[in-house]
Formats: sequence, structure tokens, C-alpha cells
Amino acid sequence: MSKETVFTNLIREHQALLYKVTSVYTDNKQDQEDLFQEVVYQLWKYFDSFRQDSKITTWMYRVAMNTAITHLKKKKRRPDVLPIAEVLIKQIDSIDEVYEERLRLLYKHLHHLNTLDKGLIFLLLEGKSYNEIAVITGLQSSNVGTRISRIKKKLRTNMTKN
Amino acid sequence: MEIEELQAAWLQMSTELKKQKKLTDDIILSMTKEKYQNKFKKISTYEAIGAIVCFSVALLVLIKFKSLDTWYLKICGLLTLTFLIVLPVLILKTLNKLKMIDISKGSYKENLSQFLKTKNRLLILQKLAIGTGFFGLFFIVPVATKIISNKDVFLTSLKTEQIVAIGVALIFVYFVSKGAYKGYKRLTLSAQELLKDLE
Repeated sequence: MSKETVFTNLIREHQALLYKVTSVYTDNKQDQEDLFQEVVYQLWKYFDSFRQDSKITTWMYRVAMNTAITHLKKKKRRPDVLPIAEVLIKQIDSIDEVYEERLRLLYKHLHHLNTLDKGLIFLLLEGKSYNEIAVITGLQSSNVGTRISRIKKKLRTNMTKN
Repeated sequence: MEIEELQAAWLQMSTELKKQKKLTDDIILSMTKEKYQNKFKKISTYEAIGAIVCFSVALLVLIKFKSLDTWYLKICGLLTLTFLIVLPVLILKTLNKLKMIDISKGSYKENLSQFLKTKNRLLILQKLAIGTGFFGLFFIVPVATKIISNKDVFLTSLKTEQIVAIGVALIFVYFVSKGAYKGYKRLTLSAQELLKDLE
């Protein structure tokens, strides 16, 4: 199998992962699409450097999240842009109002977090263990636990306020 | 609403997204082409064009430096040259450093820290450029007037309307600079806070 085929299979298989990373770090459709393309470009650029000693998804999370933090936001605020939560809602079939509302709230609270907290809570939502989060973020496992408890507390306070 | 409910919404969204296979091989391969990796390039190009303009003007000042025939015009000339050469070089160097972050190697924490430090430096330089830009009027205008129309503004008596025009321009530049400076200061502070949290 050619390198291109292996790569396209990988991206097709994990496009949901990439979609979620890029939606967490952006707040509208245009920025999300730009970031998605940049992440795919970076994954391709560093594809040869992937070593089999870690899971491919761990490597993908790392490259995608690292790309997201160094991705410069567009300064212009366009009034006509669709918020990212609405983009996701439109994309998904068979959804109910409660779910839609939860998704809106989720993104609203996620976007209020700073870059580090956003990354940690994203990985937690993805079902990653503290150890896996530590591997991806470079933080110590115990530090991950402490920080996540702090973020959860912050989220709870924000949710109670609203 | 509880965090567990948010997690449940995330899980439901993940399941729905997994079902979707929108990308084709052609779309993916087109994304691997460099045309998409153009954000830094765009900014670097703008900065490079700005730097070329600054360097060209600096070259002109250098060539015409002899026409600055008094000690105070010479000082103004030297300050203008410093302003036109040093700041663009520092900004281009910092932008290049941002571009050089190897996202495939470092961890999220390391890259975030490196990115914030470099971004902070860039913001400080931009703040400095705004501040210098305002005070720059006091040394750039005399140099430009001398080079272009061979007049020494320090010895020229100004008409009332000229004084009013200069006054209005100074007030305008002051408020624009102050606003931009405040914006940069806020950005620098938030980057510094996050950096502190990382260490």
C-alpha cells in the first residue's frame, strides 16, 4: 500500500477525532475548516516521523492539539458566522432538543476555558485516562488529576451561574 | 446541568460523528498540499513587505544623511534609522521563531509554553512599535522634511493653522496608540497568566 493510501485511510477512519479537536479550539465554521485543513497538512508533513512506539491516535491527538494552539485566530469578527455548536447540530441527524441544548452549553463553557484547561477537558471528554492525558500533554499524571478537579469545579460554578 | 450530562452529550455527538464519512481521498490529498498551510506565510509576507518598506526608507535616509546638517537633525536621523531597522528585524525574528515550533516533537505543555513565550515577545515588540511610533513623529517628521524639502522644521516658524493641524494629528495618534496599546497589554497579560499556570 502506498504512503498516500495509508494516510488517507487513517484520516478517513479518524475524521471524527480531528473534527472534534478542531471544533474545541475554534468558534465558527470557517475557522474550524481552516484548522481542520491545517491539521491534516501537519499530520501529512510529520507522517514519516511517527514511531510505532505509541498509539497512532495518541500521536494524532498530539499533532492536532499542538497545531491548534499555534494556529493563529483570525482577528476579524464576522457577524454572519455560524457558531460551532450550531454547525455540529446541523451536521448530525436524529437529534433532540435536550441534546441540542446540552451541546450548545457544552461548547459555550468549553470556549470560556483557557487553552490548557480546554485541552485537558477535551481529552477527558474523549474518555482518556489521566495517564493517557499525561502522555499527550506532557503534564504529570498527578498534576492532570489536580487540574481536572479544578476545571470541573470551575465548570460547575459557571453552569450554576447560568 | 451536571458535568456528567455534558459528557453524555459529547459521547452522543462522538457516536453521530463517527457514522459520518464525508471526506474522500481526493479531499484529503488536496489538504496535504502546502496551499492550506498559509497562515504564518500570510502574516510573514505582510511583515516582510512592511520590513522592505522600512529598509528602503532607511536606505534613503542613509544616502541623504549628509543633508542632515545640524547636530539635532543628525540625532533625529540616527533615531529614525534605529526605528526603521531594529524593530522590523526583531519582529521578523520573533515571527520566524513562532514558525519554527516543531509540533510533532514537543508535548502540548511544552509547545503551549514555547508558543506563549514567543507570542508574548511579539506582543511586547508590537507594544513597543506603537509607543515608538507615537514618539517617532518627533524625530521622523524633521528628518523627512529636511530630506524632501530641505527645510529645518525646528527653525521654521509655523502658521496658526499648521500648529492646529499638528496638534490635532498628535491628539489623534495619541488616542489610537493608547487604544492599541491597551489591547496588546490585555493580550500580554492573559498570555502571562497562562504561562504562570503552566510553570
